Amino acid sequence: MLRVLLTALALLWLPLASLAQDLQSILQEHQAEVAKPSRSSVGPVLEALTASGLPGVPAFLNNWQDKNVHVREEDGLFFLVEETGDTVTLLDIATAEPVAEGVDPGTLDQIRPNGGVRRAISEALVQFQLSDPDITRRMEALDAISRNLDPDQLGPLQGSIANEPDPALKLRKQRLANYLIARFGETRDDRIEAIDALSDDLSVDGRAVLSQILTTRTEMAQEIPQDVNLARILDLPREEAYAMIAAQADLPPLLDENALRSTLEPHVENGRVGGIPVGQLATTEARLMAYDALAAQGTLPPRALPRQIDETLANWTIYEAYDEPETAITDAALAAQKGVQTRVAASQFADISLDALSLASIYFLAAIGLAITFGVMGVINMAHGEFIMMGAYTGYVVQQFVPNYTASLIVALPLAFLITFAAGVAMERLVIRWLYNRPLETLLATFGISIALQQLAKNIFGTQARPLTSPGWLDGAWQINDVISISYIRIAIFVLALLFLGLLLFILKKTRLGLEVRAVTQNPRMAASMGINPDKIKMMTFGLGSGIAGIAGVAIGLYAKVTSEMGADYIVQSFMTVVVGGVGNVWGTLAGAGLIGILQKGIEWFNPSNTLAAQTYMILFIILFIQFRPKGIVALKGRAAGD
Amino acid sequence: MSTPNRSFLAQNPSVLWFLGFLGLFTLLVTVFSEATGTGVISTSFVKTLGKILCLCLIAIAMDVVWGYCGILSLGHFAFFGIGGYAIGMWLMYARTEGIVADSLAAQAIPPTASELSDAVASQIFGVVGASEFPPIWAFAHSLPLQLLMVVLVPGLLALVFGWLAFRSRVTGVYLSILTQAMTLALSLWLFQNDSGLRGNNGLSGLQNIPGFEETPQALISIWFFWASAAALGLGYVLFAWVVSGKMGSVIRAIRDDEARVRFLGYHVESYKLFVFTLTAIVAGIAGALYYPQAGIINPAEIAPIASIYLAVWVAIGGRGRLYGAVLGTVFVTLASSWFTGGSAPDVNLGVYTIKWTDWWLVLLGVSFVAVTLFAPQGLGGLVDKLRRKA
Amino acid sequence: MSTLLELSGVSVSFDGFKAINNLSFQIGEPELRAIIGPNGAGKTTFMDIITGKTKPDEGRVIWGDKNISLLGLSESQIAREGVGRKFQKPTVFEAQTVRENLAMALKNPRGPFDVLFYKKTKRGAERVEAIAEQIGLTDSLTRLAGELSHGQKQWLEIGMLLAQEPRLLLVDEPAAGMTPAEREKTTEMLVEAAKTRAVVVVEHDMEFVRRLNCKVTVLNEGSVLAEGSIDHVTSDPQVIDVYLGR
Repeated sequence: MLRVLLTALALLWLPLASLAQDLQSILQEHQAEVAKPSRSSVGPVLEALTASGLPGVPAFLNNWQDKNVHVREEDGLFFLVEETGDTVTLLDIATAEPVAEGVDPGTLDQIRPNGGVRRAISEALVQFQLSDPDITRRMEALDAISRNLDPDQLGPLQGSIANEPDPALKLRKQRLANYLIARFGETRDDRIEAIDALSDDLSVDGRAVLSQILTTRTEMAQEIPQDVNLARILDLPREEAYAMIAAQADLPPLLDENALRSTLEPHVENGRVGGIPVGQLATTEARLMAYDALAAQGTLPPRALPRQIDETLANWTIYEAYDEPETAITDAALAAQKGVQTRVAASQFADISLDALSLASIYFLAAIGLAITFGVMGVINMAHGEFIMMGAYTGYVVQQFVPNYTASLIVALPLAFLITFAAGVAMERLVIRWLYNRPLETLLATFGISIALQQLAKNIFGTQARPLTSPGWLDGAWQINDVISISYIRIAIFVLALLFLGLLLFILKKTRLGLEVRAVTQNPRMAASMGINPDKIKMMTFGLGSGIAGIAGVAIGLYAKVTSEMGADYIVQSFMTVVVGGVGNVWGTLAGAGLIGILQKGIEWFNPSNTLAAQTYMILFIILFIQFRPKGIVALKGRAAGD
Repeated sequence: MSTPNRSFLAQNPSVLWFLGFLGLFTLLVTVFSEATGTGVISTSFVKTLGKILCLCLIAIAMDVVWGYCGILSLGHFAFFGIGGYAIGMWLMYARTEGIVADSLAAQAIPPTASELSDAVASQIFGVVGASEFPPIWAFAHSLPLQLLMVVLVPGLLALVFGWLAFRSRVTGVYLSILTQAMTLALSLWLFQNDSGLRGNNGLSGLQNIPGFEETPQALISIWFFWASAAALGLGYVLFAWVVSGKMGSVIRAIRDDEARVRFLGYHVESYKLFVFTLTAIVAGIAGALYYPQAGIINPAEIAPIASIYLAVWVAIGGRGRLYGAVLGTVFVTLASSWFTGGSAPDVNLGVYTIKWTDWWLVLLGVSFVAVTLFAPQGLGGLVDKLRRKA
Repeated sequence: MSTLLELSGVSVSFDGFKAINNLSFQIGEPELRAIIGPNGAGKTTFMDIITGKTKPDEGRVIWGDKNISLLGLSESQIAREGVGRKFQKPTVFEAQTVRENLAMALKNPRGPFDVLFYKKTKRGAERVEAIAEQIGLTDSLTRLAGELSHGQKQWLEIGMLLAQEPRLLLVDEPAAGMTPAEREKTTEMLVEAAKTRAVVVVEHDMEFVRRLNCKVTVLNEGSVLAEGSIDHVTSDPQVIDVYLGR
C-alpha cells in the first residue's frame, strides 16, 4: 500500500508521465464495475484509480459518489452531465469540458452507487483529502476519521504522515494512527505498544479508545468457560441477579411483591382470593399465601420460592467478559487506563485549584473593601453588596454609550470606582458618622440603605438581568491540557485582585494616608492626639473601601449576571471572608478569601452535584472555625485588640 | 420593683394594660369575624391579623434577646421557620395519609402498611423525585411528638449554636454575622431537593387541618387567631417576668458591659445561652402558629433577610420595651401591606408617578435609617414621652 | 495573717513585648497594699492575670487556704472565689438604679435559674441599705446610676465590690478625678475595708498612697523593683531613678 502511494506521489511530480494513461481508459478497463458498482466488486476499481495518481481522480470519486456520473448507452463511455433545457450537455469525465451538446437524456444512464459503495468511495477519498494542499480539508478528513475509527483508514493515514507539512497536524495524524493501531493493529505486540503510548493521553478521544478496547458484555453461566476474557464477577442484589438468570435459564420468574395486589385483584371471588378473605390481605405474607394457593390451582404461574432462588444463585455466576479476547491486550489497556486516570485526577485537582484560586480572588475583591472599613472603623457595612451592584450597573450603563467593549471597560472601571467612592463618602457623612460606637445600629442603618438601594436599582433597571459584555479578547479559555482550562475572564479577575493587593499594600505601607489609616486602626485616640484627623481618615477609608467594591462589581458583572440582587449573593461570603481572615489586615483578608475559595471548591469536588450543600457545609465549617480562632487567621493581639 | 414581695403583675401594670388591649382586640375580631360574628372582617383578614400576632410574639422574643440582652441575632427567623416546618410535617403527613387511605380503600384488596406509607411518601415527595420518607420524618405521624419537635429542634439548635458562639466569646457584629451565616446555611440546606423537606417547594396545604376537613376555613381561622392571641399574651407575661427583677437586671447589665458582669461573678455565657435558647423556643412556637395560617412554608421564608426585617420591626418599635416590639411589628406589617397591596394612592409628580408598590421598600429603608439616626428609641420612645407628660 | 494570694515566676508577653517578667508577689488576709509604678510597668496586666482576663505564659497563681490555682478558672469563677475588681474608669450600670446595681452585686447564688427564681429577702434589702449607708448613697437608692456624679459612681462601684463580700479587693486608681474631700472619704472606705480582707490599691498619686499608710510594692518593667513602707521605697535610689527619669 505504501509503495503504491509513493508511486502515486512520484507521479504527481511528473505530470507528463500521467498523460500516458487517462482517466477514461482506466474506467473503461473496469467498465462493468464502474457502471454497476457493488460493495464486493468496487475494491479493485478504487485501487486502480488511486494507484494511477491522476489529478482528476478525487474529483471523479466525488462525482461518482454524488451520482453525477452518467454512462452513454451506445459505447459505455463515462461523462459528466449539465442540463440545458430538455437536452443535456456532456462533459469530459476528467476535465469537465463540454464534449457534446444537445444530447437526448434518454441515451444516458445515471450511475447510482448504493450506500455501501458510497462508503467505500469516501474511504478512498480520505487518503486524497489527507494529502490535500488545503489544510482545512486535511483537518476535516482527520475529524471524519476520529469520529468513526475504521481499520481501513490506517493505511492512508500512515501514508500521509511523512509528507505532512504542518507540525501540529502531523502530531495529530500520528496520534490518530496510534488510536487505530491500538484498536485494529495487525499483531498483538503492535497493539500493546500503541496502547502503552495511550497512557499519557488525556484527551477524550484517547480515553474513548481505551474504553472501546475494554468494552464488556454481561453473561452468566454455571461454569465460566475457559476461553472467556473475564473482566469481573458481578455481585448483584439477590432479586436482580435471580431475575437475570431466570430470564436466560427459563426458571420460574421472580414475583414482584409490589405488583402482588394488582396480580391478585382479578382473582377476587366472593370476597376471597385463593380461599383467603380479602380483608386479611393487608400483609405481604397473606398475599403470598393467596398467590401460592392460586398457583397450586394452576390459575397463576408458579413463583420462584426463596429456596429456589438460593439454589440458583449458588449454582450460577454472573460475570462481565471483555469483547476483546486477548488478555494481554486488555491488561495493557487496563494499565494504560489506570495511568490515564491518575493523570486525569491530578489534572482535575490542578483544575479545581485554579477554580479555587479564581473564586478566592473574587471573594478577595468583594471582601477587601469591607475588611478595610471594618478594620478601621469597626463598622459592618451591610450595603457593601449594593456598592458591588452599583459598580456592575455602572459598567452596564457605560456600555450603552461606549459600544467598544474594551474602551467601555477602560471607562467603566475608574468610573465605577468614582461613583461608589462618592456614594461611600456620602453614606459615611450622612449616616455612619453619627453612629460611631454603636456598631450594631450601624449594621442596621446600613441595612436600611441596602434595602433602599436594592429597590431603587429594581425601579430603574427592572428585575431582569442586564448584560455586561466582556471584550472579545477575554472570551474563551486558556486550555492547558484536555482537562485543565481556565477562562480568560477569571485570569483577568485574578490579575485584578493581584493588582489591588499590590495597590492596597502600597497605599497602606508606603503612603501618608496608609500610615494614618494604620494609626487609626490600632489606636484611634492616640492617633487623634498625634494630630491625625480621624474623621477625615474614616471618610477616606470608607470611600476607598466602597470604591473597591465598585470595581469588584464591574469584574463580577463580567462573568455573572447583573441584577439588583447580585450584591446580596456576595455579601455573606464577604462577611465570612472578613471574619475568617481577621479584621483590619490585608493579608488576613487574602488568607480568608483563599481559605473560603479553596474550601468551597474542595467541598464541591467531593460532592460536585450539589453546590447548595457545599455552601451549607462551608458555613458550618466557618462557624466551627470561629471556635478555634475567634479573631480570625491574622489576629491583632494584646491591647490593640481592644477587649 | 422597689419594695420586695409584691405580686409580679402588681409591679408591672404595663403587662396588665397590654393583656387588656389584647383581650379587647381579640373580642372585637371575634365579634366582627365571619364565623363567630357579623362578618365585617373577612376570613383572609382574620388570618392576616392572626399572623401579625404570631409575628408580634417572635418580635418580643427578638426584643428580649437584642433589646434587653444586647445580642443582635439575625437568626431568630430561622427558629421561627423550624417551628413552622415541624408542625407543617405533621399537617402534611396526616392530611396526605387521609387522602391516600381514602383512595386506596376503594380498591378490592386492602393496602399493606408499607404500601400505604409508600403511597403517602410518593404523594408528598413526588415533586422532588423521591418516593420514600427521609429519616427526619420519623415522628411526622404523631401530633404530640411533632409538637415536641416545635420546641425541641429550635431549642437544641439554639443551645448548640449559642454554646459554641458564646463559649468562644464571639460578640457584637461578629455574633450577628455568625447568626446570619447559620440562617443562610439552614435556608441553603432546605433549598436542596434531597433535604427531605421538599426543597424549594416547601410544605403546602397547611391551612387544612387533618380531622377538620368539614370545618369551614372561617372557623379554623378564628381558632388560630385565638390561639395566636393566647400565645402572644402568655409570651408577653413570660418575657415581662424574665426581664423584670434580678434576671432582667443581670441581662441588661450584660448588654451594657458584659466584662463587668463577669467580674461580679456571673457566668455571662450561661445567661446569654439561657436567653438565646428561651427566645428561640418562643420563636419556634410562634412559627408553628403562623404557618398553618399562612398555608405554605418554603425555604425563602428563612432567608437571612427575614431575620433582618425582624430587627427592623423591633428597632422601629423601640428596643428594650416589650410593647415597643409589638407596636413596631403591627405598624410596619400593616403599613407594608397597605403600601404593597395597592391601596396607597400613587403620587403624581408631573414628570414621574411614584407607585408605592415599587417605592415602598425604598421608603422603608430610608425611614429605617431615619429612625436609627433621629429616634433610636423608636415608636416606644414616643409613647414613653407622652406618658411622662401625662 | 495568713497568705491569701501568691504569684510566683509569672511572665506574659504580647507580640514579643514582655508585659510581666518573672513577677512574684504575696498578700495576706487582712492586709492593705499599694502598688505603684510608672506607665507600662505592668500594673493593669498584673490585675488582669489575677482576675483571669489574661492567661500568663508561665508561672503560678495560688489562692486561699486550700492553695488552689486560679489559672484554670474563668473570670466569673475567680470572682465567685472572692476576688473583686474595681476598674480605673468607673463602671457601674448606668441604665439601672443604684439599688439594682447593689442588689446585683450581693453575694448570692449566681446561676441563671437561681437568679430567675430569686425572691427578694429582708436580709438582702437590709444589706443593700447598710452598704448604701457605708458609701453615702442612701438618698440615691432609687436614682439611676447614670445620674450620679463621678465620685459617687466610684463609691457605688466600691459599694458593689463590698456587696460581693470578696476576700481580695483589687482597686485600680480609685482617686483619679476626685475632689480632695472625695479622696479623703475614699481613703477611709479602703482602710475600713482592709480591716477584714486583703485590699490591693494601684495608684499613681503618691500623696494618696502616703495617706493609705501601708506596705508599698513598686513595679517596673513587669517585675517587682522594691517593696516596703512608703518612706523606704521613696528613698530607694532605683525607684527614684525610675520615677524621676534617667
